[in-house]
Amino acid sequence: MKSGLSRRSFLKVMGSSAAVGGFTLSGLSGISRAFAAHRFQGVPTLSYIFPGAPQPDVARVVEALNAYMAERIGATIDLRAIEWGTFDTQISLINASAEPYDLVFTAPWINNYYNNISQEYLAPLEGLLPELAPGYWASLTPATWEAARVAGHIYGAPNQQIFVKPFGPNIRTDLLEAIGLSDEFQALTSWDQLDPIMAAINEYVQTDDILTHVTYNLAQVVTPEAWNYDPQDFGLAVKGSDASAQVVIFSETDEYRQAAELIRQWYVAGYSPSDQTLLAEMDQAWTAGLYGLRMADIVKPGGEAETAARWGHAVTAKAISQPMLTTGGVTATMYGLSSISPNPELSVKFLELVNTDPVFYNTLCKGIEGVHWEWADEERLLIKPAGDAASFADTGYSPNTDWMFGNVFNSYYTDESQVGAWPLTAELNRTAMPSPVLGFTFDRSAVETEISSISAAMGEFSAPVNQGFIDPAEGITLLNQALRDAGIEAVRDEMQSQIDAWKAANA
Amino acid sequence: MATYTVKLRQQRQLDRDRLLSILGRFSVHLALMFFGLSCLVPLLLILSASFTDEVALTRNGYSLIPSEFSTEAYQAIFRNPTVILRAYGVTLFTTIVGTLTSLTLMSLLAYVLSRPEFVLRKPLSFFVFFTMLFSGGLVPFYILMTQYLRVQDTFFALLLPNLVSAFYVLILRTYFVALPSELLDAARVDGASELRIFISIAVPLARPALATVGLFVALNYWNDWSTSLYFIRDPDLYPLQYLLYIIRSNAEAMQLQSAVGTISTGQMPTQTARMAMAVLATGPGAVFFLFFQRYLIRGVTLGAFK
Repeated sequence: MKSGLSRRSFLKVMGSSAAVGGFTLSGLSGISRAFAAHRFQGVPTLSYIFPGAPQPDVARVVEALNAYMAERIGATIDLRAIEWGTFDTQISLINASAEPYDLVFTAPWINNYYNNISQEYLAPLEGLLPELAPGYWASLTPATWEAARVAGHIYGAPNQQIFVKPFGPNIRTDLLEAIGLSDEFQALTSWDQLDPIMAAINEYVQTDDILTHVTYNLAQVVTPEAWNYDPQDFGLAVKGSDASAQVVIFSETDEYRQAAELIRQWYVAGYSPSDQTLLAEMDQAWTAGLYGLRMADIVKPGGEAETAARWGHAVTAKAISQPMLTTGGVTATMYGLSSISPNPELSVKFLELVNTDPVFYNTLCKGIEGVHWEWADEERLLIKPAGDAASFADTGYSPNTDWMFGNVFNSYYTDESQVGAWPLTAELNRTAMPSPVLGFTFDRSAVETEISSISAAMGEFSAPVNQGFIDPAEGITLLNQALRDAGIEAVRDEMQSQIDAWKAANA
Repeated sequence: MATYTVKLRQQRQLDRDRLLSILGRFSVHLALMFFGLSCLVPLLLILSASFTDEVALTRNGYSLIPSEFSTEAYQAIFRNPTVILRAYGVTLFTTIVGTLTSLTLMSLLAYVLSRPEFVLRKPLSFFVFFTMLFSGGLVPFYILMTQYLRVQDTFFALLLPNLVSAFYVLILRTYFVALPSELLDAARVDGASELRIFISIAVPLARPALATVGLFVALNYWNDWSTSLYFIRDPDLYPLQYLLYIIRSNAEAMQLQSAVGTISTGQMPTQTARMAMAVLATGPGAVFFLFFQRYLIRGVTLGAFK
C-alpha cells in the first residue's frame, strides 16, 4: 500500500518533468511556425517536397512567395527541402505512412517515377492540367507530354529544361590554347577525330608538373546517346534514325565496338589512369587539375559556364552526337501530385504559376530582389548577388537548382556567358529529332527474373570493356555471351512486342 | 645413472612444455596484435589523411604518414564552425539527457521486474521480452512517431527511440535479482519505503551494471544517425553523426545527378575536409570510452561469474 503510493508519486514527478521538458523543447520551433502561419489564416497550405540543402533564409522567401501566391491562387506554400542523400529514404517513409502532401519532385533517378505510379502514390494529371494550368499545358509540345504518359495517364509535370542530350567532350580551355588545336576541336564530328587532340594533350602532360593523365573515366564514351541511340534499360537501345523502332542489344552494335576499340586504344596509350579508384575521387582529382578533359558530358548552351562553376576550370565543349528528344530526357525533372493530396486543384494552379510566372519562379529559385540578388542588367535579365555578397551562395538563399522548380527558360541569368542561352536551348528542344520511341515506357513485370541476371552480367562483364582493360574483340564476345545467357534476348523480344503494340495504338 | 636419465628426461619434458607455452602465447599475441592493428590502421589512415594536403592526397593516395603535412582541412572547418559546433551541442545534449533518462527508466523497470513479490512481474516480463522477438517494423514506427506522438523535428524524436531497450532491461534485471534479498529485507525492517530501498540500496549496489549499460546507451545515442534520418529535417537539430552521414550521402547523390546531366547544388567538401570531420566526430567518443573502460570490463564480465 505504502509502496504503491510512493511508486505512483514517483511516476507523477517523472511525468510532469517530462511534460515540462517537452514543452520547452518543442515549444521553440512551434512558436515560430505559428507566427508565420498567422498572416494567412484560412488559406490552405500546399506541401511541396523536393531534394535540396536547407537554406538559412528560407523563411523570408516563403513569406514573399506566400504573399504573392495568396493573392493569385488563394494558397500558401510549405517548402519542404529534404537533403539529397536522404531524399529517397524519407520520401518512401512519407509515402508508405500515407502522410499527406501535395507536390513532390519525381524522376527515374530519384524518388522513382515508375515505382511511384505502380504503388499508386501519384494522381493522374491530364484531366486537371488543360483547364487549371492552360499556359503551362500549352508551353510544352504534345510530344513532351507523351513522354510523361504511362499506361494512358500523365502522372508527372515536366519542368521545361534541356530535354535533349547531345554528348561531347569538355576540354580545359587553358590546355586547348596551350596545344593550339582550338580549330580542330571545334571541327569535331566523330569520336575518333578526338585522337590527335588527345595525343597532343598527352605530350603536354609529360612536361607538366600537375597534370598526370589526359582524361579519366573513359567509359563515358560508350553512353548510347553519344552514338545517337535512345537507351532503354538493361543494355538495350533503339537507334535514333530507325523509324521502325527495332530494339537492339547495344553491346552488339557496330557503334559499341567502335567505342570500345577507341577506349582500348586510349587506355593502352596511357591516356587514362590504370588504377581505378572511386569515381568520386577521380572527379576530385579532375577538380584538383590532374586531368585534361572529360570524355563525354551533355553539351548545351550555357553549359560551359555551369561546368566551370562546378569543377573550377574554364572548359570548352563540343557536341559530337545529335540532339535527340527521348523519354528519359523529359522525365528527368518532373513534379507529381500525391494521390492523397488534400488540394489537387490548387496544386495544379500552383504548377501553372511556377511554370509561367517569371517573378514567382525566380523568387523560388533565387530569393528576393534586393535581399538575395539584384539586377546587373535588367534588360538582358542578368542578375548578381545582392549587396556586397561575393557569391550567390553567401546571400543566405541559393538553392542553385532552377531546373528543380519549373521552366528554366524563365530564370534570370546569373553569369555573363549564360545570357541568351535559354532561347537557344528552347530551340534545341523544339527542333531536336524525336526518338522513334518517345513516350514509350517498358513494363518489366513479365521479365523480372531475366532483368536481375542481366544487371549482374552487366556489372561483371561490361566495366572491363568500357574502361579499356581488356581487348575489345575478346571482351565484347564475353559480354554478349553473358548477356545472352542471362536472357537478354527474351527481354529484347518482350520490349519489341510492347513497342510494336504501343506504336499500333498511337498510329 | 638411472636417476640422471630420469632427471634429464624430466628436464627435457619441462623444456618442451615451456617452449610450447611460449610458442602458444606468442601465436596468441601475434593474432591479437594483428587484430588490434586491423582496428587501428583505418583510424590512423583517416587521421593522417585529414592532415594531408588536398592535392597531395589525390596524387599520392592514402598513407600512414601525411605525404605533405597541412592543417588546411581543419582551418576550413573552423572558419565557419557554427554547423559543427551546433551538431556537437545536439549530440552532447541528447547523449547526456538521453543516457540519464534512459538509465532512470530502465533501472526502475528492471528493479520492479526483479522483485518476486511484484504481482505483475510475469506478464510485465513477458511484455518486455516480447518486444525483443517481434517489432512493428519501420513504417508503423514512423507513423507512431510522426502522426500520433508528433515529435518530428524536436529533441524528443532523437531521445525517444533509444530510451528503453528490452535487452538492457533484462541485463539490469539479472543484476538486481542477484542482490542478496536479506539486504532489502533489512532495509524494509528499518522502515524504508520501496522507493527508498531502490534509491539508497539497490541502485548504489548496481553501479557497475548501470555504468556498463549507461556506456552502451551513451554510445548508441552518440552514434545514432538513423533516427535523425527518419525524423529530423531542421538543420539546427542535426546531430554530429547525421551531419557526417549527410555530407557523405549528398556527395553520392550529386554523383547520380551528374549522371543525368544536371548541375550540382554546391561545392562538395574536399576529401581531407571529410576526413577531418570524421576525426572531430569520433575523437571525443574514443576519449569517453577510455574513461569508462574500467567499468565496461568489469561490467561485461559480470555475467560470467554467475
